[in-house]
Amino acid sequence: MKKFIFSAAACIAFVCLIQTQGHAQFLKKLKDKVAQKIADAAGVPANTTNSTTANSQPGTGINNSSNNGGPANTMGGGLKNTPPPDVNQNINDAEKATGTADYNGARYALQQAMTGLEIELGRQLIQSLPATVDGLNKDTAKNLVQSTQYGWSNLIIQTAYSDGKNKQLKMTIGNNPVYAGIVNMYFNNAAMVQSSGDNNQKMKQVRVKGNQALIQFDANTGYQVLMQLGQSSMITWDCVNFPTEDEVMTTVNTFDIDGIKKTMGEQ
Amino acid sequence: MKKILTLMLVISITAAVNAQDFKTDIASARTNYAAGKLSDAHFNIEQAMQELDLIVGKEVLKILPAKMDTLNVNTTDDHVMSNSGFLGANIHRSYGNMMAYRTGGKMAEISIVTNSPLISSLNAFLNTPLLGSMMNTDKSKSIKVQGYKGRLENSTNTTGQTDYTIEVPLSNTLITFKITNSTDTEILNLVNTVPLQQIAKLLQ
Repeated sequence: MKKFIFSAAACIAFVCLIQTQGHAQFLKKLKDKVAQKIADAAGVPANTTNSTTANSQPGTGINNSSNNGGPANTMGGGLKNTPPPDVNQNINDAEKATGTADYNGARYALQQAMTGLEIELGRQLIQSLPATVDGLNKDTAKNLVQSTQYGWSNLIIQTAYSDGKNKQLKMTIGNNPVYAGIVNMYFNNAAMVQSSGDNNQKMKQVRVKGNQALIQFDANTGYQVLMQLGQSSMITWDCVNFPTEDEVMTTVNTFDIDGIKKTMGEQ
Repeated sequence: MKKILTLMLVISITAAVNAQDFKTDIASARTNYAAGKLSDAHFNIEQAMQELDLIVGKEVLKILPAKMDTLNVNTTDDHVMSNSGFLGANIHRSYGNMMAYRTGGKMAEISIVTNSPLISSLNAFLNTPLLGSMMNTDKSKSIKVQGYKGRLENSTNTTGQTDYTIEVPLSNTLITFKITNSTDTEILNLVNTVPLQQIAKLLQ
């Protein structure tokens, strides 16, 4: 009997607790709806009227997650896309600064000149690439030239070709002795390029216009060809939705490797 | 005095040579850029940056003390090395007699490395209270030199004497001052003769 009374009391307490929670949630939803209606009537976005509620109600569709309870930013056009540094101007500035023993100014101007040069070189290179390969058109929206100022150590030039659907070839030319060395590591390590003998080869050595390269396949990302370019550069081609290895190799062989080498100052 | 004058003369001549190379590289960069040879112009600018590091290094050597207490500078051991692109300038000067050091004598040296890979761990030691307190022992402690935080370490050398090292990070530059067969009072007095603020200004 005692056990029954205790169990009943526990059940009643549990139901009350659920009801209290449900009641609180219902009130909160009601409060949010009222706030939303008032905001709509006033023509003000709801997330600016009650940010505390928005923060405490994830999943309500109110986007206020980035400002820690403060007002959400709704204005501003972002940063201006400034042109690359003027190479001639910065060379002149570096010379002048050195003449007045302003070495910090000189170093800064030289770094700027280098950035300007790398960006100009990258753009030239992208422009020199064919407009179409294997029926895929160059997607200019995916062009990218990135320079880190530190002396030819991390220049990235990237472009992509696409059929507008799901077939894509992304070409990346990078100048970084560290990455380039990694490809060499593959060439010099037989264990990394030989088949395991189970007819499931994932990587092998190939040649692209006489240059040593590697081709690998991954079911999720497709084919990838990596080629060392001269002493410190590397080209990668990421081929998504290419049906065969032969088609990949034919496509990458259409690029003017010697021209790219010449532009990059490689031998 | 004669030695100091000779040292100043040698530094001035080498600085002038570097300045000349810098001008040549800048002129070549300009010519190659105008001719559309971008990769060649790039190489010239890279060379110019290395020359600049050398010029700055020579300027730093000029302002380093020519004497550390009774220890005279070893002019032949002065060197500046430039690795533009990864590590920057590497400047080195030593004082005292290396042979005397081997027989328990005294020797001091200063090395200044820009973009040193050791900076981050040293800064962690100096600026993380927990880490700093754990590593503060009778062999290592945090100090302040001319307002800059630094670390003082000591170790016993093969001849049984105590060697001291002070490391001071200046932004991305690490200054290391070492002296053999010394005391912490002496090394602190000597390191205060090194014009840290001027060095930081030149290397920033």
